[in-house]
Amino acid sequence: MPEALEIAFAELALGPELSPDDPVAVRAWLDQSGVDREDAQAIVDAGVDRLFVYRTLIRTTLREAVECAIPRTAHRLGAVFDEYFARYLREVGPRSRFLRDVTTELLDFCAPLWAADRRVPPWAMDLARHEAVQVVVASELAGPGNANRQPLELELPVRFVEAVRLMRYDHAVHRLSDALQDRTPPVTEPTRLLVYRSPEHDVRYLELTPLAAAILERLLAGAPLGAAVVEACRAAGTPLGESVRSGTATLLADLAERGALLGPKLQEG
Amino acid sequence: MPGEGHNVTGVGLGLRWEFLEEVLDGPPLDLAFWEVCPENSMHRGGYYPHALARIAERYPVFTHGLTLSIGASDPAPLDYLTELRDETRRLKTPWHSDHLCFGNAGPRMLHELLPLKQSTANARRAAERVRRAQDVLGLPMLVENITWYAHPGRREIPEAEFITEVVERADAGLLLDVNNVWVNAQNHGFDPQAFILGLPLERVRQIHVAGHTRTASGLILDTHGAAVVDPVIELLEWTLERTGPMPVLLERDHDVPELAELLAEVHRLREAYDRALARREAPLARSA
Repeated sequence: MPEALEIAFAELALGPELSPDDPVAVRAWLDQSGVDREDAQAIVDAGVDRLFVYRTLIRTTLREAVECAIPRTAHRLGAVFDEYFARYLREVGPRSRFLRDVTTELLDFCAPLWAADRRVPPWAMDLARHEAVQVVVASELAGPGNANRQPLELELPVRFVEAVRLMRYDHAVHRLSDALQDRTPPVTEPTRLLVYRSPEHDVRYLELTPLAAAILERLLAGAPLGAAVVEACRAAGTPLGESVRSGTATLLADLAERGALLGPKLQEG
Repeated sequence: MPGEGHNVTGVGLGLRWEFLEEVLDGPPLDLAFWEVCPENSMHRGGYYPHALARIAERYPVFTHGLTLSIGASDPAPLDYLTELRDETRRLKTPWHSDHLCFGNAGPRMLHELLPLKQSTANARRAAERVRRAQDVLGLPMLVENITWYAHPGRREIPEAEFITEVVERADAGLLLDVNNVWVNAQNHGFDPQAFILGLPLERVRQIHVAGHTRTASGLILDTHGAAVVDPVIELLEWTLERTGPMPVLLERDHDVPELAELLAEVHRLREAYDRALARREAPLARSA
């Protein structure tokens, strides 16, 4: 359980803005945090202005971390983004000891709220997730990704690098300019990207067809290769013919060449 | 004494993304050590931990953390400590240091070095947390004095006594941040030398110096975003004369200039370092 002074700092930093010149508000903040009378009096007597510096320091650190990860989303949404950032701090607050996780926490908080807010463009979460996945995949904790150089088998699952995500967007946000000032809206177009970390530690993006995405989605979930292809074709209403077989083989060979696919997942023992 | 046994002395530098590749690809630099923040490399994969491992093969590396939250009422989770232990082992640091502060309120992480109420009870709790961290890490801990802008509540004991109580109860080393002492002395109006003399100098294992920023209101903020000012270098020199040789770190976290400029600043600090040690040895030489 956090102590009263810890709660007071958290509320001061993350809660609604207080004026240090408003003695009633200051006293209410200390009382609601549960700060004991003598400590509260000492804080008031010393003058609260300097304590309020911590609000600026904390919010600046968090904001810089988020803007570093999703700069275009923050710039495009402007004041609306500021509003949701403040709301996230007030209602949830950062949970991870790692600053790089704050953006993901913020977006998880915003996702249902943005979907219901007409002021937020429908592409905003796509763009935010697309920007954020770069840091997520770049820093994903992963074991050694050595390829086992054995041929894939239909009965076996496939092993990918651990730093990999299959992203699905309703908008082609990956084609937007990197320029912060650009306000061109993305085209509404179902988009599927395989995002993975290369052996050289670079984050790479591969645009996928609907069927390729359906196959890879099942493979990433651990399905055996043959079942993944059959299920994906069935779901897509695509006949499993020679073109699917050769297309799948080409895709998997390409992924192996890129270092994203490591080989068959062999049974342990 | 905690942290004894390593042989690194002299001036080192905080490793930054901005010049990481220059360090990796360039010739060996005349630096005593690098200091790194393990929260940037632990619990993650990819380029950065890979690069750090290469740095650790070429230079001594010290780890200096930000989120142990030594003084918080809730102890740091064991899984965090074990991941930190793995990272310190990977980097072969002779100790791990973190700040005498708190940084969370229950589950809410504030990502700032927040001042503890200076009381005996808080000192005892912080000491217990440092002992626990040392046990899990299997390493000595150094505890750093922080910059603080306002004291939260009634101050029950003086800051120097508070710090001393923590490191002595925990049997930990002291990472003396000379800039933090100087900034606090300016902001709160006390004599920085008298403050340092009130600390257990025999426990100091490392020293930090950094630059700071003065706000319009006159308050000085410990930003690590500028060059070290002359009065801080003078205080460093005065302190080294009393502690003897040890690792001294130049911290620069914001407005990071070119590596060459930082190395020039390291050189300037090394001159101060050498002057201090020469003065320290002079009386001995005269008596020999």
